[in-house]
Amino acid sequence: MTDKAVQFSVNGDPRSIEADTTKTLLQVLRDDLELTGTKDGCSSGDCGACVVLVDGRAENSCMILAPQADGSEISTVEGLAGDGELHPLQKAFAETWAFQCGFCTPGMLMSCFALLETNADPSREDILTAIAGNFCRCTGYQAVVKAVQQAAAEIRGADRA
Amino acid sequence: MPTVPETDVVGEWICAPGADEIVTGSARYCPDIKLPGMLTGKLLYSPYARARVKKLDVTKARNLPGVHAVITHTDIPGENSYLYGHPDQPLLVVDEVRFQGDAVAAVAAIDAETADAALQMIEVEYEEFAGQFDPHLVMQPGAEQVLPVEENDLLFQTYKNGDVDAAIASADVVVKNTYRTQWAEHAFLETEGGVALVDQAGLLTVYSSCQAPHRDRMQIARALALPESSVRVITPYIGGAFGGKDEAHVQMHVALLAQATGLPVSLIRDRRESILTHVKRHPVLVECVTGATKDGQLVAVKARVIGDAGPYSNATHEVLNKLGEFIGGPYTVQNVEVQKIGVRTNNPITGAFRGFGAPQAAFVYECQMDDIARKLGMDPLDIRLKNGVDTGTRMYTGVVVREGTGMKASLKKAAEMIDWQQRGRCDRQPDKHLRRGFGMATILKGCGLGRGLGDHASVILEMHRDGSVVLRSAAADMGQGIVTVLAQLAADGLGVELSSVRVIRADTAQSPDAGASCGSRQTMVSGNAVIEAANSIRDTLLTLAAMKTKVSKDELELKGGKLFVNGECHTMTVRDLAERASNWGYPLHAESLVHFDYPTNVPDVTYKYSQEVFQFCTQIAQVLVDIETGQVVVERLVAVHDVGKMINPGGVYGQIEGGVAQGIGYALSEELIVEDGITQNPSLENYIIPMALDLPPIEMAVLENPEPRGAPLGAKGVAEAPIIPTASAIRNAILDATGTPLYQLPMNPERVLKTIS
Repeated sequence: MTDKAVQFSVNGDPRSIEADTTKTLLQVLRDDLELTGTKDGCSSGDCGACVVLVDGRAENSCMILAPQADGSEISTVEGLAGDGELHPLQKAFAETWAFQCGFCTPGMLMSCFALLETNADPSREDILTAIAGNFCRCTGYQAVVKAVQQAAAEIRGADRA
Repeated sequence: MPTVPETDVVGEWICAPGADEIVTGSARYCPDIKLPGMLTGKLLYSPYARARVKKLDVTKARNLPGVHAVITHTDIPGENSYLYGHPDQPLLVVDEVRFQGDAVAAVAAIDAETADAALQMIEVEYEEFAGQFDPHLVMQPGAEQVLPVEENDLLFQTYKNGDVDAAIASADVVVKNTYRTQWAEHAFLETEGGVALVDQAGLLTVYSSCQAPHRDRMQIARALALPESSVRVITPYIGGAFGGKDEAHVQMHVALLAQATGLPVSLIRDRRESILTHVKRHPVLVECVTGATKDGQLVAVKARVIGDAGPYSNATHEVLNKLGEFIGGPYTVQNVEVQKIGVRTNNPITGAFRGFGAPQAAFVYECQMDDIARKLGMDPLDIRLKNGVDTGTRMYTGVVVREGTGMKASLKKAAEMIDWQQRGRCDRQPDKHLRRGFGMATILKGCGLGRGLGDHASVILEMHRDGSVVLRSAAADMGQGIVTVLAQLAADGLGVELSSVRVIRADTAQSPDAGASCGSRQTMVSGNAVIEAANSIRDTLLTLAAMKTKVSKDELELKGGKLFVNGECHTMTVRDLAERASNWGYPLHAESLVHFDYPTNVPDVTYKYSQEVFQFCTQIAQVLVDIETGQVVVERLVAVHDVGKMINPGGVYGQIEGGVAQGIGYALSEELIVEDGITQNPSLENYIIPMALDLPPIEMAVLENPEPRGAPLGAKGVAEAPIIPTASAIRNAILDATGTPLYQLPMNPERVLKTIS
């Protein structure tokens, strides 16, 4: 085990840490930066609970060693709401019961956020594909589809206004 | 003047209290709790299904720098056992491991790496010896016992009503089949965990990801030899449970480590440990004989059920009891005999999982129904309508159905939604290797623990002088939404806005016992307790309002924080009334203890621990079977559920959708593969659960036939029903598509291909 200086930005803030080279980005976020919104469901890349954005791409943070993230821009669920205002996706998830226990929600939100960045009007199929790696044991994903389409409509409406 | 608003908080789509915390990532689950000086706890688990522990030496591990404690069975001050029903599973084994996952020792260290290193340094010498893996063999006379002082058949009971053999002998048509089901895994996304700390006054607090905080408290106190008054159990947010956290897991271990070290300890299982160590859904073998007249009237059901319990009892009695209770289905058949056998083996431990044996029962009785219908040339819908229970039906268990409209109504509604009568007109062979088919299944499942099982719950409700409300309930919310339901009932009962009600999540130091969140019971039991408590406070408010307005109480109403006099809004508000009550010393504080209502004025109920309020539901599946690969695709799934009265639509539809998704996994792919007691697929990669792209559109409808007694506003539970019929609906659709019946779960491509070819 050796430590390596790693620099990246998290939700827009520059962070510099000495990370053990065997640590994953997920462990650094949760343990060193105390950003516990991102969850650990399997530590093996199978469940998507740990999805964050790495330079805009939705990635399982348990599958990335911290030094690999050097120089990247990381976004986590904690960065979604701006100025005390929930992001339309967050509002829609709450309103449509797109979660029950909520443990998959941070990762699910980040996958959906990445989708909406490139697709303003996603179909059911588009959404299911975007969340294909996000395991939810409580819902059947239909409520998530509904939430994403509701949020997409709100964002399109706001953009037109 | 505004009049009383038509809509209120009950039945409305509302956000769950705490939803903002979940979507912003600030909701704390056990793994998110970080305390100053907190140690990492880990358990050493047995790699063998059965072995003697010849030597257990923790000296080297204890001496490793950074290790604060290593404990074995000799370090447990109290009872070394779990206690769900029967205390036969050790917390830490003494001289023998009996399943892969039995815990041997516990470690607390400064970080995870040091704890792992300590586990490596524990010297255990195992002597492996032949395990018992075949339920049939352990039942043979003279078979070696799995536990030294306990019989291998931990349950051997027969229930009988009517002259079953004579009825079968006289039946026009008899079907006899043998069914097999698999070990199934809950796969709650948050693995089991706990955080424990002892404060300076000696109070031990345990944060627990659980379904039964007061039962946890009892078990922790028992293991640590503490009075229960020195133990506090708090549930933070809980990442799913589905029955798998009904029984305790690491709560006692983490408490023992906190007691031993004097420091906070966090103990979270990783995914592999989780799959290997907690109870699974019982695999069962069921031989079932069903007889009917030539016009499709069921006359008898005779079944023999053998369930593989693993080495310890866990919830085997409860699960097999429910399996037997529902083996006759939602039908009027009177001659029923069921033999329930639970046996000890060295396979994985088994226990509660959404439905408590009812999904296994439904796989049997709903497949039998379609096999009979085919023999008679009857429509599967018609034979179910002909035999279905109704309000007032006295079932074979002796239970009288109090409200049974939902049985036939759900069948008819589901048939209408999928256009059942026109199903023959669809393209049944869209390609030369593809076959399309339709299948239905209809079920009933009771709510509550069962008659005679101490089925009660308490809550404390308090209104403050500003009209704000605190509701203290120890009903654990694992995601199913009980906190929302109770907040809605409190707001409705007190006549205040939902935003005025703060619910304290389950905490044994704040809330009286509500029992476990299991058996689809909390909406009914804790819900009734909230209504009773709210009525008491509301009465105080109305008394004060009557004194002030000089109008009698029955002409007054509270709603949305406002007072209405004969339907007209008054200038005085609930807040004003609360302030008057506070100033003048009127009670705005109520504790209510409510018992589940089991009627006494009924004919003899002969089935022990019977449930008596029923969830009804019908599901219909449309499938496409690839006869070359055995792949089954569910194209549509219709689910119709009678919930009595829908209090929280978000939760009700969520539970149905999620239960169906779990049911599809149970039907087609989920199977823990166990060879000689060793689990071959303890990961989410190899235990195959449907993901977003694997599920069909789930078309849902909710029926509301209010339960007449003992149900809050007529509402029944909904949590278990959705997973129960799914596997049989899909099986019957495969039968319709291919003409081939399957009798074993899961119906994965290999099994389907083998059966149809």
